[in-house]
Amino acid sequence: MGKLEEVLDLINSGVTQEMEIAKRLGLAKEEVSDIIKILENLGYVEKVEAGSKTCESCPLKKVCYGSCLKPTGVVAYRIRENVQEKG
Amino acid sequence: MAMKVVALAGNPNVGKTTVFNSLTGMRQHVGNWPGVTVEKKEGVFEYKGEKFLVVDLPGTYSLTAHSIDELVARNFLLNGNPDVVVNVVDATSLLRNLLLTMEIFEMGLKNVVIALNKIDLAEKKGIRIDPLKMSKALGVPVVAMSAKEGIGIEELKDKIYEMAQGRIKTNPVVPRYDPEVEREIEHITNSLKGTKLERRYPLRWLAIKLLQRDDEVMKLVLRHIGEERLREIMTHIGEAEARYGRAMDLIIASQKYEFIDRLTHEFMSYVGKEKESLTDQLDRILIHPVYGFIALAMVFYAVFKFIFALGLPLQEWLDGLFASFGEWLAPQIANETLRGLLVDGIIGGVGSVLSFFPLVFLLFFALSILEDVGYMARVAALMEGIMRKFGLPGKSVIPLVLGLGCNVPAVMATRTLEDERERLVTMLVSPFIPCSARLSVISFLAGAFFGSNHSIVALSVYLIAILVALLSAWLVGRFVVKGEESPFVIELPEYLIPSWKTVVTHSWERSKEFVKKAGTIILLGAIAIWYLSNYPVEIGSGKSYAEKLGYLFEPYMRLMGLDWKAAVSLLFGIIAKENVISTYGVIYGTTEAIKNAMTPLQAYVLAVVTTLYIPCIATIGAIRAESNWKWALFTTAYMIAVASIVGILIWHAGVALGLA
Repeated sequence: MGKLEEVLDLINSGVTQEMEIAKRLGLAKEEVSDIIKILENLGYVEKVEAGSKTCESCPLKKVCYGSCLKPTGVVAYRIRENVQEKG
Repeated sequence: MAMKVVALAGNPNVGKTTVFNSLTGMRQHVGNWPGVTVEKKEGVFEYKGEKFLVVDLPGTYSLTAHSIDELVARNFLLNGNPDVVVNVVDATSLLRNLLLTMEIFEMGLKNVVIALNKIDLAEKKGIRIDPLKMSKALGVPVVAMSAKEGIGIEELKDKIYEMAQGRIKTNPVVPRYDPEVEREIEHITNSLKGTKLERRYPLRWLAIKLLQRDDEVMKLVLRHIGEERLREIMTHIGEAEARYGRAMDLIIASQKYEFIDRLTHEFMSYVGKEKESLTDQLDRILIHPVYGFIALAMVFYAVFKFIFALGLPLQEWLDGLFASFGEWLAPQIANETLRGLLVDGIIGGVGSVLSFFPLVFLLFFALSILEDVGYMARVAALMEGIMRKFGLPGKSVIPLVLGLGCNVPAVMATRTLEDERERLVTMLVSPFIPCSARLSVISFLAGAFFGSNHSIVALSVYLIAILVALLSAWLVGRFVVKGEESPFVIELPEYLIPSWKTVVTHSWERSKEFVKKAGTIILLGAIAIWYLSNYPVEIGSGKSYAEKLGYLFEPYMRLMGLDWKAAVSLLFGIIAKENVISTYGVIYGTTEAIKNAMTPLQAYVLAVVTTLYIPCIATIGAIRAESNWKWALFTTAYMIAVASIVGILIWHAGVALGLA
């Protein structure tokens, strides 16, 4: 399994901090941040940037003070026969 | 002669715009890409007599049609026929950046120059990159540069010029995937062979994009091979995904990343770790599974010490001030009823609550400092694991932290939890978290009855409340609303020195609600309590409405060692928790009288029961609005039951220990 998959699996299993992910996988924190960006671009995790419109209107803003990240719940695989479908 | 076209491609925030500005200077034009509202920047530069038109493509992480930016960048690279593609990569995040490079190579583009930007920052971080070896490994020229510092710009211009003149031979490296993926690629390319697509696009690239279920490529291929053949390809892909147990876009990205990882070993090394930042050093302790909780207990003990050390003298002073005002006002009013209402009812009731304003302000002041410093995010991260152990979603830590201020926004914040089960459980347990109104009750009782131990006593009430919340979450999650939980990742900000202006503004914004409440709902409550205590006959006769109401519940209160006055206080506390204090204020008049009427054990039980027994009306309303009446009533009944059990246990344990 590749690093991307390992990081995604850890996030899905509830490991909540980049530092913890880095420690568990023996990676640099910066590399974990980069991998999370890749996963975010692929649609597997979702990031709400601090200062964005979503962040500004979020009721949690007062205690959050930063960006937040969450798995999007995109499933591992899906056999699709409808060629127009994308998910 | 037509200008040579240079496309600038790269990830967002790699310094692409700085490279663009360094190349073109002031000769720029900004417009939109045709048909879309994506900004298109073009600029011109001249080198060795040749003019170049530089097109700054939108910053993207990949060239799959995930977004309009990616589509614009990809279409220009495919159809814009650039003479040279400058791929700007960030030397400090090379692995991630080279994913885009590999995509460019997979598109069959050979006229690529890598602008290895931020090389100075990479050096500072201990990352050593050999541009020559990198060039050899990638098969295209590499220019090490720092666009911000103006380093490498001339060399980049030179490489662009040489490339445009056709004087540089390249051989871009193309990632290879595992046999299963390669078989899929081969299967797809075989299906596409002989179509018109073969003349316009690299078939390997089309195959990879189909594997990634790229919408635009699927539409393109559909037009050329028809629905039946495309369906066969997609079914084949689906079967491969089933064998992997993962989506193919993740498999491809992952294998590409691994390929790049191996490749970078040829030209990149780490000569030394960057010095650990202060944030990382502090986090080693503050989010450590053991030391983190010790630190948390110490921080909150310090918070209570701070609140009580500064707040209690101010509270006593304000209390005295209201008492003196009442004493001064009483002789000025001839009408006995009006005097009673103003002095005993309003000044006694509202005054006793308002005197706690310093403590509430200081609580918010301390919380604001902890938030601004970045510590509350650590508390959330630290507690998240515990929450999950008790079946609460990690994300629920944030509504619970909000509950320290007021339970209403805490209940409202549960709407950020997507899962209904998680929402209901968090909604049920958030009213257990002591809000600022309950702080006034806790601090009053702790200050009046426990002398110098007030901080420990207050902290213990908070701890009981948190423990009850967690156990309730476990119980309710296990037996009432069952389901799976979803994880949550908290990104921890750097520690910062707080802005005092922001801290004071935040504290005032939050605590002014307390004053506003004192002037409205507490005032009305105080008048009602005064009325019930003085009609039809004055309190003490046993015939006032308040006494009658209290006596009704007294047998039940006795189980917890409390009397009818506590029953009346708790009843009025349903309107707003501060009323517990104002009721005692109206009934007894002075703090000294209250102290003489209760033992410390009774005061402690009252503090705990007030914290746990029922949400205030506003919170019940919020729960109803966020769920339904059924859940609001269940929460109310559940909290009364829990408070009674805990109150009875503490009282009897205290009696058994001889503390009564």
